[in-house]
Amino acid sequence: MTSGPLHNSYFRDFLITNQNTDGGWGYHPASASSVEATAWALTALISSRHSPPLSDVCARARDWLLRVQRADGSWPALPGHPQGCWATSIVSRALYLQGGAQKAVESGLRWLINAWPSEGNFWWRLRQSIFPSRVALQDSSLRGWNWTPGTASWVEPTAHALIFLRSLPAPMLSPQAAKRRQLAERMLFDRMCPGGGWNSGNPLVYGVAGVPRIGPTAWALMALRDFSERAEVQMSLQWLEAAYGEIHGAASLALANLSLAAYGRRVFRLAPALDEMYSHNRFFANVLTIAWVVLALNEEMSGVAPTAEEAATR
Amino acid sequence: MSYAQPSLMPSFTRPESRVAIVRSASYDRGLATLLFDALREFDLPVNGKKVLLKPNFVEPDPEGIINTHPAVVAAVRDAFLRRGAASVRVAEGPGHERDTESIVETIRLRDYLGPLQDIFVDLNLDEVHAVDLRTRASRLKRLYFPRTVLEADYIVSLPKLKTHHWAGVTLSLKNMFGIVPGCCYGWPKNVLHWAGITGSILDINSTVRPDFAIVDGVIGMEGNGPIQGTPKASGVLILGNDPVAVDATCARVMGLAPERIDYLAKAGVLLGHIKPEKIRQLGESIASVKTPFAVLPAFQKLIAADGKKVP
Repeated sequence: MTSGPLHNSYFRDFLITNQNTDGGWGYHPASASSVEATAWALTALISSRHSPPLSDVCARARDWLLRVQRADGSWPALPGHPQGCWATSIVSRALYLQGGAQKAVESGLRWLINAWPSEGNFWWRLRQSIFPSRVALQDSSLRGWNWTPGTASWVEPTAHALIFLRSLPAPMLSPQAAKRRQLAERMLFDRMCPGGGWNSGNPLVYGVAGVPRIGPTAWALMALRDFSERAEVQMSLQWLEAAYGEIHGAASLALANLSLAAYGRRVFRLAPALDEMYSHNRFFANVLTIAWVVLALNEEMSGVAPTAEEAATR
Repeated sequence: MSYAQPSLMPSFTRPESRVAIVRSASYDRGLATLLFDALREFDLPVNGKKVLLKPNFVEPDPEGIINTHPAVVAAVRDAFLRRGAASVRVAEGPGHERDTESIVETIRLRDYLGPLQDIFVDLNLDEVHAVDLRTRASRLKRLYFPRTVLEADYIVSLPKLKTHHWAGVTLSLKNMFGIVPGCCYGWPKNVLHWAGITGSILDINSTVRPDFAIVDGVIGMEGNGPIQGTPKASGVLILGNDPVAVDATCARVMGLAPERIDYLAKAGVLLGHIKPEKIRQLGESIASVKTPFAVLPAFQKLIAADGKKVP
């Protein structure tokens, strides 16, 4: 492995080489195309500013995603699955960034705005009033998005939905969308672990503080970029910076870099750490990990994110 | 896809189960020999077979408290290879952490097993197939399962001996939640909670029942498990050819009554044995290794009559 631009192109070429003939990507090379893996691979390739542009690769990915969109506007986790899921946010954003799929994006957005998690509905409130939970104490009136229909809000799918909504121009957002966005942002703040950072969504269990994790913290921070002055965000950034040195997975490292860079915080050059990690397990040939690595490397190369040296002089 | 479905039979027609308790005070190098010797007590039809080990890897845990210890995983893998297995892969789909690589690296699995690319499978991201569940204890009816699990000839559940703040205890049956793929259901696999934990445990195990179970109780976890509890040195490995009987034995070692643990009591009807007279105990006796585990107030009712009450 080498550092710098070639490093980036290595992973980008991995994605290009491993696109399935149907236009999608599986979670691993030669596995059946999955919606989420395809959306992230497409997002990574769009961000790569390849010359000449990867028009054909991206168009085939877009066409596959359009083919597997459900009639209700949502996307399932895998083609043929009976219901839409969290991947709808990720695909809608990828298609919006790619362009040429306005109607599909709008129908994805409509589904998302009308997709409510199950906590806080009438039956749930009735049950809670009779058998109140003493396990996880949190404000369940603050609802975001779930992984799959019929379940509760969690941090990561909520963050993905907010990141998508945040990427859209104001005219595309209905008043209802704006309300849901506001409610979901409040939910994320409510679910922050004491001391900063997020886990999957249980900040307190039996009164014991939950342990934050890199991935959910990175996603939540990226979703809450408009609140950079809030104490919770600053505290969570500090937690992420403190935890950075203990990261042992490439996916977590890439997400931490993307998140810290989004706030103009000091990040370290990725290539040396990635070289080391890649030599261990070759990232298990995980397409999702490699897509996030490409995004983080692109962000680093774009100059938006400061290098360690640059950040130190700021 | 076809796969070997487990046998569901009423407990009165099911043959006696065999469970062995082996003392091991630490995770040192003697573990492989210890386990190999213990497995000689069992008729393991693994010669030339594809064996799948399903440990309990939950979160990055440098202290080695939460997850099945990698020394146990390595020792079991070694033992099954020596027994003639054609391949022994390690597979897990963590419930909360998407970055599975960060878990296996934090617990130093590579140090124990060597390069992991061809040994370890992230079940959260494996290819999946829809399977109709064989029982209707929950409202799930059908689940997607990973191809690696469905294609395995012999499945070994390798959990940690822990309490659990929703289910009471998490052992070899609850450990099978980890075969439900995150790529279909998310992180956590919240659909299982909404469908009912007890029912989901039963439905999953009635459909993909482990053939064998080995519980890492060298250091377990008591109190607010499965993540935020306290380490509990129990110094045992508990193994057997009936995961229900193994879990029942574990519960007794923990000072808990298996018939009071909802999912275990129900599993004792169709999936295996929980009655002591139906379990042939090998190795150490339960009484000699009993180590009462502290449980949360909500689970005080699980404490066996002769168990030591812990506030």
